[in-house]
Amino acid sequence: MSSPDGLFTDYRLDGFFDEVFDAEGHCRPHYAPLLARLTGFTPDDLMRRTRLRDAAFRSQGITFTVYDEGEGIERTFPMDLLPRIVPADEWSHIEAGLVQRVSALNSFLDDLYVGEGAAIHDGIIPSWVVKSSDGFCREAFGIPVPLGARCLVAGVDLVRDGEGTYRVLEDNLRNPSGISYVIENRVAMTRVLPSVFADQQVRPVDHYGRSLLNALHRVAPPASSDRPTVVVLTPGVFNSAYFEHVFLASQMGVELVEGRDLVVDDHVVSMRTTQGLQRVDVIYRRIDDDFLDPVPFRTDSTLGVPGLMAAARAGNVTIANAVGNGVADDKAVYAYVPDFIRYYTGEEPILPNVTTYLLWDDDQRNEVLDRLDQLVIKPVAEAGGYGIVIGPAASDEDLATCRRQILEDPRNYIAQEVVALSRHPSLVEDHVEGRHVDLRPFVLSGEDIEVIPGGLTRVAMRRGSLVVNSSQGGGSKDTWVLAGAPGDGDDVAGSDHEAR
Amino acid sequence: MLARDAESLFWSGRYLERAEDTARLLDVTYHGMLETTPDEEALAWNDVLAALRLDGVYAKTGRPLTATAVCEFLVLDTTNAGSILSAVGQARENARTVREQLSTELWETLNSFCLELRARNLRADLEFQPHELYGMVRRQCQTVAGVAAETMSRDEGWRFFVLGWNLERAEMSCRLLSARYRQLSPSAFHQWMGTLRSASGLEAYRRTYRASMDPADVVEFLLLSRTFPRSVLFSLRTAENALARLAPDGELTRPLRQLGRVRAGLEFADVRELMQGDLGEELWVVEEGIRQVAASVATQYFSNSREFDLHSVHLMPGEGGRP
Amino acid sequence: MRLDIRYRTAFTYENLVRESQNELRACPASDEQQELIAYRVYVAPSARVYSFTDYWGTRVDSFGVRLPHVAIEVTAEASVETFLRPQVTVAPHLDSLRDPAYLDAHHEYLQPSPHTDWAEGIATEAARQRDLIGDDVVSLVLALHRVTGARLTYARGATDVGIPVEDVLAQGKGVCQDFAHLAVALCRSQGIPARYVSGYLFTRDDSTGTDVDDVDVVNVQTHAWFEASVPGFGWLALDPTNQQEVGDRHVKIGHGRDYDDVQPLRGVFSGGAAPSVDPHVEIRRVRASDSPPPGERRRDPLQLNELARQQQARDVEARTQHQHQQQQQ
Repeated sequence: MSSPDGLFTDYRLDGFFDEVFDAEGHCRPHYAPLLARLTGFTPDDLMRRTRLRDAAFRSQGITFTVYDEGEGIERTFPMDLLPRIVPADEWSHIEAGLVQRVSALNSFLDDLYVGEGAAIHDGIIPSWVVKSSDGFCREAFGIPVPLGARCLVAGVDLVRDGEGTYRVLEDNLRNPSGISYVIENRVAMTRVLPSVFADQQVRPVDHYGRSLLNALHRVAPPASSDRPTVVVLTPGVFNSAYFEHVFLASQMGVELVEGRDLVVDDHVVSMRTTQGLQRVDVIYRRIDDDFLDPVPFRTDSTLGVPGLMAAARAGNVTIANAVGNGVADDKAVYAYVPDFIRYYTGEEPILPNVTTYLLWDDDQRNEVLDRLDQLVIKPVAEAGGYGIVIGPAASDEDLATCRRQILEDPRNYIAQEVVALSRHPSLVEDHVEGRHVDLRPFVLSGEDIEVIPGGLTRVAMRRGSLVVNSSQGGGSKDTWVLAGAPGDGDDVAGSDHEAR
Repeated sequence: MLARDAESLFWSGRYLERAEDTARLLDVTYHGMLETTPDEEALAWNDVLAALRLDGVYAKTGRPLTATAVCEFLVLDTTNAGSILSAVGQARENARTVREQLSTELWETLNSFCLELRARNLRADLEFQPHELYGMVRRQCQTVAGVAAETMSRDEGWRFFVLGWNLERAEMSCRLLSARYRQLSPSAFHQWMGTLRSASGLEAYRRTYRASMDPADVVEFLLLSRTFPRSVLFSLRTAENALARLAPDGELTRPLRQLGRVRAGLEFADVRELMQGDLGEELWVVEEGIRQVAASVATQYFSNSREFDLHSVHLMPGEGGRP
Repeated sequence: MRLDIRYRTAFTYENLVRESQNELRACPASDEQQELIAYRVYVAPSARVYSFTDYWGTRVDSFGVRLPHVAIEVTAEASVETFLRPQVTVAPHLDSLRDPAYLDAHHEYLQPSPHTDWAEGIATEAARQRDLIGDDVVSLVLALHRVTGARLTYARGATDVGIPVEDVLAQGKGVCQDFAHLAVALCRSQGIPARYVSGYLFTRDDSTGTDVDDVDVVNVQTHAWFEASVPGFGWLALDPTNQQEVGDRHVKIGHGRDYDDVQPLRGVFSGGAAPSVDPHVEIRRVRASDSPPPGERRRDPLQLNELARQQQARDVEARTQHQHQQQQQ
């Protein structure tokens, strides 16, 4: 590698698109300052600082809980000290694509739940795909959301393929988590490795609380006061993402409540305080739809608030993210999102999907069954990375089971081409190796659609692994978006720019 | 603040003080009994249970009134909500639900106290080194109190914590006095010394009252001292202070009025009059008063916070009458 | 036929209940077969009612009571005009059910649902009927409707809410809800879209559906039947409990995939033991020269609540003390 020696002397690309080094092994320009700053650091130095960061996170309780056979184990989400850097022009492209995509998703959801269902009538998506989706929520019908901002917070997972093209892997429109790590990782980096920030202009992320609160204020019901009361609704201490709920409430300076702290009287929601009942206007809820309100939903749920849905329907409270978003982040509906973009915005999608095959289509299914060992098979109804079969890595037995499952229930499966995820140098014990990464930017819908610079870069910690979810042993990196120089916007390469 | 959070902080304070006071009481009782006969011992242990208002509950368990049995009940029995182990556990659970309102150090101190207690072989401790154990509990409780005082902002949450803690202290001190005042005679003074020691007040007492062995002086000290932090009056004044700051705009809330009355009764009491009258009755009135204050605090501030036990209802067409 | 319907449900609890939140689905629909003329709903103890139309097109009245109470009574009064139904004149072949557009449009009414999750028993019976009847949709629907009546005996209290429809068939008895679920499951197992209907029946006797020529007021319960989709015709409504076609004595409230989508009353309450539930439906045929009927006498929930409130004041003191003591121990 032509780079400062020590850390990267034995670094190999192995044919993958690398974030830091190009195909000839030269350091990409936007990483040069960082690598220069890292000269003189040994892997030991970096490991020591990593341990410092882990210890700090653990004692602060920045952990998540993994449940294994009923036992809850507290884990910190490991952070690799080498940051991922996105140059300004690349970020502009990503940002434009995300704004376009989330805008189309908001439109689709609004159209579906309070509109005419035009996308279905006009044949953009078959009715049965929508209606058989687990996330399709009939109880949300007719409940309006101000500004149509149903995906108040969206987490869109992006991957980079072998050519370096950013593609959307999946949308998370219900309860996307991870923003707390984005912010805490940045803080940790400035503490344990401050010198790497010199000479660079990294766009800050610590305004998230303010932006989120603004967006929540914007979606308050028309009848609320100038300073609407916002709360964060959590399932409680036993939820694996509880730390993040605490974090968000504290960043925004609002109360963190559980279902039992809220009460509905005359279709108005209030919280129980020491000074009596205080009216609530907007609820940022981190509870799944099914558990929100035992009257229309599961009656055995004690996490929710009886009468909440009626209050939302009556226009006395706004629930964010809106109920029923799950239909739009359904793996089957995913395949139609590029069509949504064309239909609702009139534009071509800026960020493409990963090539996806729908197994209920006879032709597509037959082709897929012929190439099962080359593709990724995903069950439509599972979340968190569970149930996925990665063809090239699966045993004959697994493939046979997979084939059988597809034939039994073709409407429950999609197939995707294996994406050769890009890699990023990461600290592995005493040296640096390439590890697969993805990127989850966070997108806020309020008055406008705002994307937080960067997002959560997740790293697969095991060599060769493509799985990055926290619940299955992934890690993270601080993600930097470099501020563009004045006038840089005009230099953005790309024919689409000239076509305007 | 959320009613539920306030209630958690209030009870956290109460449970911590309960654990400490129980440890103090047991420490002193145990050592005061090294030279008693079995009958005297049974009586003495019953007094201890009575002081904690657990004599009835204990009688129902049918266990003997021996040091081992009673101490196990009061220290490690998890079916007894008032045992030290239970109380510390409850303090921690209550604190956990409001963890983000506590400082990191406070949570870590309380958490490690609880974990340490659970990790010990308490039965062996009780047999071989009870004094060690009680000392550890007392010190840990004091540490938690100290860390809390040093790291918590003086906000609403802090006031509820202080309120619970001091109401519990006042009530426990009252009961202790109640249980002991019958042995009022100069010849039983070594028992009085034990009582003073259990309140960490022996030195303070001597500084004020010198070598006096007059029971009235002891009562005055433990009940009416304005300077000794574990006296009933002192605890009530601290509690009243906290409660006053919880009322918006100096409003005279019901619990504040009630607490004020109890405190005033002691503020202007004359210990000679008390000793000549029915001290037991007087102490009972104070204890009752404190209980009513706690109930009023709950109604005033926590009554909004209630656990929801949900039952669902659905009707079938064609069905009627009892489901 | 012009009908006035009063649907009333009273809940009485053994202990004081602190809170209750509910959704009522008791309002007759307006469609080609009936016209809703008037409707109002009220609750005692007094509660604001918020009304909306749900996904299935059913009117929902939602209300909550947050005062301590031992009794709630909710009353819905409706006036509706029902019309005679057109006869089926088409005879589509079973193949027409497989048209992709038709399948897509009726997707929801073809899937198993919690109360219509069929297995071997039902599939076999339906297939048997198909073999006997042939490929005509209407005839098959009528046959499945008939066989439902043949395989089940009407018996109250024989089934619990939530009993799987296969068990209903196996046990051979049930109430109108079970008859409807079985008929729906039989249809769906043969690829015929079918939906569950909740409503009222102006009849002397719930279990026989006897006509009421000589009586103008009846006291019954809510009723359930089903509708099957016939290509080229629409929804064919049949009452399997009474083995008759749905006509102008049936008043529809709404439909759904099964009972869960159109429950007359669902809700939650807190505190206290299970309620004793007392539903009543009074239906009156309105002829041109009628005057309003006298109301039925019933226990006044407001009176019950006042007594309960006085008792509560006495209980709260005692209970708080007790609770306090418990926490202390």
